[in-house]
Amino acid sequence: MSATSNKSTFELPLTGEATETTSGLEHAQSLSLPLLYENIRWFCRLRWWVMGGLVFYGGLGFFGSWLARSGLQRPGLWPWIIAVILLLANLAHIRHALVRTMSRARLNLWSQIVLDLLILTAVVHFVGSCSTHIAFAYLFHIVLACVFLPRRQSLIVALLAAGLYVVCIILEASGILSEASIWADTDATVLPITTASLVAQVGSAIGIWGILWYLVSHLSAMVRARDAELADTNHRLKAALQERARHMLHTTHALKSPFAAIYSNAQLLLEGAYGALPTDAQEVIQRIGKRCRGLSREIQEMLQLANLQSIGQETSVLPETIQLTELLDLTIDRASTIALERKVILETKQRPAVTWAISDHVSMLLENILSNAVFYSRPGMTVWVTCGLDPKGTPVVTIRDEGIGIDPQKLPHIFDDYYRAKEAALHYSDSSGLGLAIVRHVASLNHIRVQVESQPGIGTQFTLYFPLHKPAHQSEPA
Amino acid sequence: MAYILIIDDDLDFALSVANALHAQGHESQVETDFEQAIGRMEKHCPDLVILDVMFPENKCGGFELARAMRHHHERFKNVPILMLTGMNTQFPMGFSSRDIDKNWLPVTSYVEKPIDLNVLRQKVEILLEQARV
Repeated sequence: MSATSNKSTFELPLTGEATETTSGLEHAQSLSLPLLYENIRWFCRLRWWVMGGLVFYGGLGFFGSWLARSGLQRPGLWPWIIAVILLLANLAHIRHALVRTMSRARLNLWSQIVLDLLILTAVVHFVGSCSTHIAFAYLFHIVLACVFLPRRQSLIVALLAAGLYVVCIILEASGILSEASIWADTDATVLPITTASLVAQVGSAIGIWGILWYLVSHLSAMVRARDAELADTNHRLKAALQERARHMLHTTHALKSPFAAIYSNAQLLLEGAYGALPTDAQEVIQRIGKRCRGLSREIQEMLQLANLQSIGQETSVLPETIQLTELLDLTIDRASTIALERKVILETKQRPAVTWAISDHVSMLLENILSNAVFYSRPGMTVWVTCGLDPKGTPVVTIRDEGIGIDPQKLPHIFDDYYRAKEAALHYSDSSGLGLAIVRHVASLNHIRVQVESQPGIGTQFTLYFPLHKPAHQSEPA
Repeated sequence: MAYILIIDDDLDFALSVANALHAQGHESQVETDFEQAIGRMEKHCPDLVILDVMFPENKCGGFELARAMRHHHERFKNVPILMLTGMNTQFPMGFSSRDIDKNWLPVTSYVEKPIDLNVLRQKVEILLEQARV
């Protein structure tokens, strides 16, 4: 905002401008930190297997005659030396990864990559750079680099591998390094080496690596871009859900507040705060007040139901361990206002019971059933609330009233959206018909079994069986 | 007779509560701006505050005022606060009397609009009585 004397100017920023710049490629280039740490751990475990292989091969040296019969020569000390170097290097890598993970600092992967490639080049030399296909072991590193690193860095790894292999071949061809092989009779396995055949062999190997690098890095970049896109969509969805919840909160407030003002003013008029009113006027104002209260409750229920219907298995609202007695006390406290107004007595008998559910959902469920019990009772009647464990140890809550009851034929429909039995509407006209629909959704989302027993003119009992443990398919929140 | 300050941006509702309390023999005043409320309390310390939650420029204005009274103004530290709001007491993002907490929601009691004026009067009497004790 700019201001000159009293004049102010403000330009509305375009939405999404700030977020667009950070999306896409930057995230698509590399793995997220937790995923990177997980893969480093996996790679360190893999090194133990390589060490095992080297030790096994070194151990074969003790069976010289068997090796000779197989056409292999004694490996000597090199597998043991390389295994020890790999052991020390792996321990150092693990320590480095642990320290950096704990301090949330950047990991230095390059020391590991270079050291692994150097060790591999030594293995290639001793196994036989030209007499075996061991050189293709570099592919393993190149493919992993394509998966874990951005494209440019994976190219560096591929070039480094090719460079080390070429250096190894040149050193062997120039006689600086004596040629080595696992084969006892190298003449039988090695083709006559000329400069042209050597160049062709090395060139074809490096060519294949190059093509593979191109294909894998391209595919990895596509997969990573897709991952980033999905993560971005997920982030937007979560933000939209939060925004909707905020919007609902404000809508409820904005819609309920005017009705609260109308209701309280209507009550003042009825009380004669501004002079006595004729009986007809009193009746009209009574109706206004009653409808205001009903509408206010209906708004709240409609918003709650809409939210429950769209929430599905949304993960931002997580189940938790709930002391049912605590929630019941609060529900009874809340219902006591209506009970007081309607002259209904609330009786309760509770024993400790614990369940696994979404606390706000259970509150909604209990409040709807308890307020119904009060609304459909007559003045002077009692509503009983009990809580405890059944013989199987399942947490059970019962809410029983002596109210108007429900016709057996209508019982299966009471949980339908907007369903209202004729007798119920006559007894209490302000209900929205959504209270038990909310109960149905909450019960389904939280695995609560609801049983209703009723007899017209005698009363109704709701028995709620709560889950003792969290369902097997629900994981612990991270 | 007690002096009750009603802090609510809904003037219609606040005036009806003021009238209802006046009929009960209490003196009451209405303040629609929560930011001015402390100044008004300094002039005349209330025996009870009836406080809304959401205000036009601050959706948590009621919370902030309650915290300011409890933590930054020694004089109003023990003044009972009855939170009275149309905000949904339940999911989503709701809160209720179980969320009353000396740091997060330092109020004495909580009721939801719309409220029966007789029930409101009863609540007011209970809180005033508790404060006297």
